[in-house]
Formats: sequence, C-alpha cells, structure tokens
Amino acid sequence: MTTKSKEGARVRTSLRRGASWLALTLVAATAVTACSSAATSGGSGQQGADSASAPGPEALNGKGEVPITFWHAMTGANGDALQKLTDKFNQANQGKVKVTLAFKNNYDDTLSAYKNAIKGGQMPDVVQVYDIGTRFMIDSKSTLPVQAFIDKDKYDTSDIQPNIAGYYSINGKLNSMPFNTSMPLLYINKTAFTKAGLDPSKPPTTLDEIAEAAKKLTVKDASGNVTQYGFGATAYGWFVEQWAAVANQESCDQGNGRDNRATKINLADDKHIKLFQWWQDLVKQGVAMPLDSDTKNGDTAFSSGKVAISLESTGSLGGFLKASAGAFEIGTGYYPKIDSSDTGGPIIGGASLWVVGKDKDDAHKRASWEFLKFLSDKDSQATWHTSTGYFPISKSALETDVDKQWVAQKPQFATAIKQLGDTKLTKATQGCLLGVMPQARKAVDTALQATVLQGKDVKETLQGAEKNVEALIKEYNQSVGG
Amino acid sequence: MTSAKPPDKAPVTPPSATRGGGRVRENLLGLLFVLPGLVGLGVFVIFPLVQAVYLSMMGSDILGNPTRFVGFQHFAELFTPEFGNILLHTLIFTLIVVVGGVVLPMSLAVPLSQKLPGMRVFRTLFTLPFAYSASAAGVVWLLMLDPSMSPVNWLLRLLGVVAPHWTTDSGWALVTVSGVTMWMVSGFNLLVLAAGLAGIDEEVLEAARIDGATGIRQFVSVVLPMISPSLFFVIVTTTLTALQSLGQPQVMTDGGPNGDTSTLVYSIYNQAFHNNNSNYGLASAQGLVLLLVGVLLAVVQFGVIERRVHYR
Repeated sequence: MTTKSKEGARVRTSLRRGASWLALTLVAATAVTACSSAATSGGSGQQGADSASAPGPEALNGKGEVPITFWHAMTGANGDALQKLTDKFNQANQGKVKVTLAFKNNYDDTLSAYKNAIKGGQMPDVVQVYDIGTRFMIDSKSTLPVQAFIDKDKYDTSDIQPNIAGYYSINGKLNSMPFNTSMPLLYINKTAFTKAGLDPSKPPTTLDEIAEAAKKLTVKDASGNVTQYGFGATAYGWFVEQWAAVANQESCDQGNGRDNRATKINLADDKHIKLFQWWQDLVKQGVAMPLDSDTKNGDTAFSSGKVAISLESTGSLGGFLKASAGAFEIGTGYYPKIDSSDTGGPIIGGASLWVVGKDKDDAHKRASWEFLKFLSDKDSQATWHTSTGYFPISKSALETDVDKQWVAQKPQFATAIKQLGDTKLTKATQGCLLGVMPQARKAVDTALQATVLQGKDVKETLQGAEKNVEALIKEYNQSVGG
Repeated sequence: MTSAKPPDKAPVTPPSATRGGGRVRENLLGLLFVLPGLVGLGVFVIFPLVQAVYLSMMGSDILGNPTRFVGFQHFAELFTPEFGNILLHTLIFTLIVVVGGVVLPMSLAVPLSQKLPGMRVFRTLFTLPFAYSASAAGVVWLLMLDPSMSPVNWLLRLLGVVAPHWTTDSGWALVTVSGVTMWMVSGFNLLVLAAGLAGIDEEVLEAARIDGATGIRQFVSVVLPMISPSLFFVIVTTTLTALQSLGQPQVMTDGGPNGDTSTLVYSIYNQAFHNNNSNYGLASAQGLVLLLVGVLLAVVQFGVIERRVHYR
C-alpha cells in the first residue's frame, strides 16, 4: 500500500507540475497574442478617395432614410450636448438622414478603431479625430476632403474662423470640418495676486514677468514647506508647441509640414532652450510646482489653489470656475511670450470631423456632409460653445444672444476671443502637420519630464528628442512613400 | 466507469489489454476528447505565437499592416540602453510586487487565521482590492496621491512626515506604481494563503507544540512547509501578474517621468497602440522577449522553489 500511495503521489505531483508548466506557458504566450491579433485582420485598403468628386444634394433622392454612423470621443457634458444636437438634426431630417452616435472612449481609441476598420471592418461615415491626427488621416487615403463638397455646393466658408480652418487646411484646401476647438490661456489666481501685492488686472505676459510674479506668489509654511507655488503647469508638449507659435516659429520644417512633408521637428533652438531652462530653474528654486504630464494633476493644482499662475486650454475654464467658487477669483491673460518681442499667437486646436469616403456610396457621403453643415452653423455652434466651453468655429455664433449672455457671465472667456482676433494666420500659427505628431508631442512631454523633473541638461535632452523624432518621421514617410 | 459507458458492440476491453487494436482505439478516443482543447490552444495560443514571430521580422505601414521582411532588425533594435532600462524597471517592478505581494498578505493572514470574533469582517475587507480592475485602482490611487490635495499626504503631514513627489520623482514613481500593484494582488493572495492556513491540521500543530515548537519556530518549521503549495501558487501567479501589468503604469504615470516607469508590457503597448503608433514589428519582438522572460522565471521558480514545496 505504501509503495502504491507513494507512486500515486509522485504521479500526482508530476501531473500538477506538468499542468502548472502548461498554464505558465499559456499565460506567457497570451501576452504576445495581444499585439499580434490586432495586426492579423488583413486587407491593405489602399484605395483612395478622389478629392475632385463630391456628390451633390441629388444623391439623397429616392434613397429613403440614409443611416449614418458617427464615431466620437465626447464624454460627460460634451457628450450630452452632442447627443442633443444630433437629435435636433435627426428631427429636422426625418425620412432623409438618420445619424447614430457611437462613443469610442477617447481620441486615441477612436483612431485605433478607425485604423482597424480600414483594414477590414465596419467603417463609420463620420469620424472625430484630434488635430494631431490630421496628417495621418490624409495619408490613410480613406476620406473625402470637405473642400470637395464646399466646391461642389459653392458653400460659403467666410463664417468659419480662419485661424481654426487654418489648422485643417493645406494650400487653402480644407480637409476636415473643425468641430470642437480650444486655445491655450494663462490662468491666474486673482485673490493670491492681491494678497501678494500684485495687480490682478495685469497678468504676466512673458517668461521673465511670470518668474518675477511667481517668486512673490510663492508661500511657505513655518517648517519651510511650500503651501502655494507661484507657477505650475502640466509638463505637456502642447504648451511647448504654443510657445513656439507665439514666437512665430515653426515647430517642424517644410513650413510646418504644409509646403511638403516635414522631415524633422525644431526643438534644440534658442527659443526652446531658453524656455526649458526657465522652467527647470523655476522648479529648482521651488517657485514652480513639479508636475507630470497628466493634465488632471495640473488642473487640480490650479483649482485647489496650490499654484497661482498656470496654463490651460479654454476648455478648462468651466471646471476651474466651478472648483474654485467661493475660494478664489480667476483671471485670464494671453498665452505668455518667451520674449517680449515675439509677434505670433497661439495655435487653435482640438478635433475635427472627417467624411469617410472608403466603401461608401454617394448617398452616405452626401448625408455625412449634410450633418457636418448642420453642426458647423451658427446656432449649433452657439449651443455647442455655451454648453461645453469649446471655442465656436462660426464667427456669427459669437453674435447670438445665447452666446453673448454666456460670455457676459464668464468674462474670462473674452480674453480668448480677443486673443484669437489678434493672432495673424501664418504657417507658424497654423501648427505643425506631421504623420507622427502624437508621438512627437509625447517626445516633448518626455523631454519636459527629463529637464524639469529630473534636472537633465536642457540642450542635450532637446537634441536627443529631436533626433528620436527624426527617426520616427523618416520611418513614417518611407512607409507612405513620401 | 463501466456503468456509465454507453452500450458498445465490441466487448469491453480492460485498460490493461495488450492487443494492439484496443490500444489504438483508446488513444484515438483520448485524442477525440482533447481535440476541443487543442483547437482552442491552436487558435488562441499557437497561431498568435507564430504570427508574433512572423510580425517580429516584418516592417509595418502606418495602418500596422506587415510590409517587407526585415529579418532580425527589430531584435537588433532591442540592444539599446533604453531597452536595458525597460528590462531593469520590469525586474524592479516584479521584485517589489512579488516580495511585497506575498509578505504583506502573509503577515495579515496569520493573525486573521486566529479564531477571534470579527475576523471574518476583516478578512472580507482585506480581500476587497481583488475586486478592482487595474484602471480603476490606478485612478483611485491617483486621486489618493494627487500632488495638490492628497489625503495620503495630509495624513503624513499630521505625522510630521514630508510626503514625497509620488509620481514625479524618478526614485518614487516606480515604487508608487509597483506599490499599487502590490496592493491589488494582496487581496487575492490573502484569500489563498488564509485558505492554506485554515487547511492545516490542528493535530499537527498540537503535536509540534508538545514537542516544544512554538511561535516563530512553529511558523517556520511547521506552518510554512504545510502551506508551501499555496505559497508557491501565490508566488507563481503574482510573478505573472506583475510581468503583465499594464493598466497601472499606463493610467498612473504613462511610463514617466522620462520613461522611469516604462515596463516591458507598457513598452509593447506603447510601440503597438499608444499615440497612434502601429509598430507591430518591434512590439512583437518585445513580446517574444516577454515570453522568454516569463519562461526563464518559470524555470527558476519550478527548478529552485518547487523542490521545497511539500505536497501532501
């Protein structure tokens, strides 16, 4: 009996062992699976859309109610506002067009889903893509430029803010319809300014002025811990692009990628070095708060009163006002200059809407365009602006009563309207178009982290980042045959 | 077994039958039974594995479609200081998660296994982190450690401790991210270890006590060997969880600051999907490295630790 049970135990042990081994190998192997399965769905989908031909309004005749799908990434109040506008459109177009919204989590996921759809899946009819995905969308050869519809309909685009349309245009040709847009502002804690003996009606305008004010605004407690930092902003590449544009300097070569495909980003130049050095010094002196690249942390830092001067987009104004209500007053100023002699202005970004052309018949393309026209008219944009805080793309939306009332309640927003009006449209303020723009921005995030948070040498870091991105651009350009 | 067997035309052959035909039939029948399992294995494991090897030798276009054969170029790209750092972060991360994720629940499970009133409530509470998804845990801990209004920092200040910059300080970021992962795995591990402790025969402990083994001595020489199967299981599963953790660095630090929390899985995700990337070739090559690391660790664990495991 003893030998038998021993034998049994041995078999059991080795079985168990074998089973664990198998399980281990499986688990390890499935980790590899994740990345390969996404790449398996075949089909190269290189069929391009011809920009010359857009269907006219007759394409909808006799087609019944044309169903179109709209992939978007709007959450919370923004998502609700979009649903409301869509319902209104569907109501007005009963029997003609019916739009269904499909929420795709965030911009990155929307684009991933779209890429997989091109490779052989159900394509949406309209898709919302962030500004930095613009070059990629053109290169995906799956869309129909809205310029084709504009030309076909002789559609009047004079109401669209030229600076906003500028981002999505190459050689004056509009590729996609801008939708939700925002621009950066300087935010100040007016209450803290008054306490520090500074004039809250005069926000700082240059790096030097910010540094000077920030030193006065920094407050320490008895044991030497900082309770209020003078300055603090998210280590976010977008801000760096804005600083370059305000200096009227192009962020990448080839006319910001608008004359030809860009081949490198401009990062290791005097302006950028000065900027990064300034930020690093402020953090070293304990005057600026060390923050990572998560905008949520940067937002809380300002709205909780931990930092007195910050940078954020116009889109954050509503949240700031709500969070700071009763605690302190918020003021806004123009996005700061690196040097007082800088003559440019900020880039107005956000996301735009693309008409999908691949695998779509004329009725669907036309229906998509009808929907885009509706979303960009002045009433829709006034609703959109006042319920979300995004900048309206329609000039006349700002003249509507509902909009005027809203701006009167939020005088801080008037700064943004003035700032846009004062910004000349140049290649620098149009913003850089780059296939790998999302990765380039991430590389600048990382460079900010390295210099500001880790105190690495500014020039070396920027040169390194420039080189890394150059390699990515080269690979991208090769793969699209440019 | 015989009673459950459906009526068969041929006479029932005992398993020990030496006639060749019966053997073959039995083997075929066996194969039939494992076939569904093999198909699943083929579709979900073997095929993707082959696909990963294939992709790792191909370039990809902007949509991620494989384009041209590049040989071992992607593997050559792995011999950089950056990738070395990624492996180092993965090692430190795994070490903290496994050591902490086993020792912490163990130190909780021992007092929890005492028969005292209210222990059930505590056990449930301590097990709760198990119910969190990686992203939910990441978001909750981000709020807890928010640089401007963190409840944790507030508590530390009350104790007179200056809180570190949890996610922005290079030294702390990796500790923070692995600490959250440790917290997440400890719930499940506590459950397993507590069950192991509950399974110890009271008589054995009594016998040990009579022989004079109490306290630490009893724990090390009697309790530990008796729960060694549970302990081994916990070590192996925690190692794999740690190696595969993506949500924590992705949500909490996005690999930063300056790549200091970039682990192997994060890097794979970063190359394949993040920021509109679609470098499936390099991602697959890194995935194969992950497979290798997993297998190597398994060899070590099974070769060294399992020898000491005492199965009853």
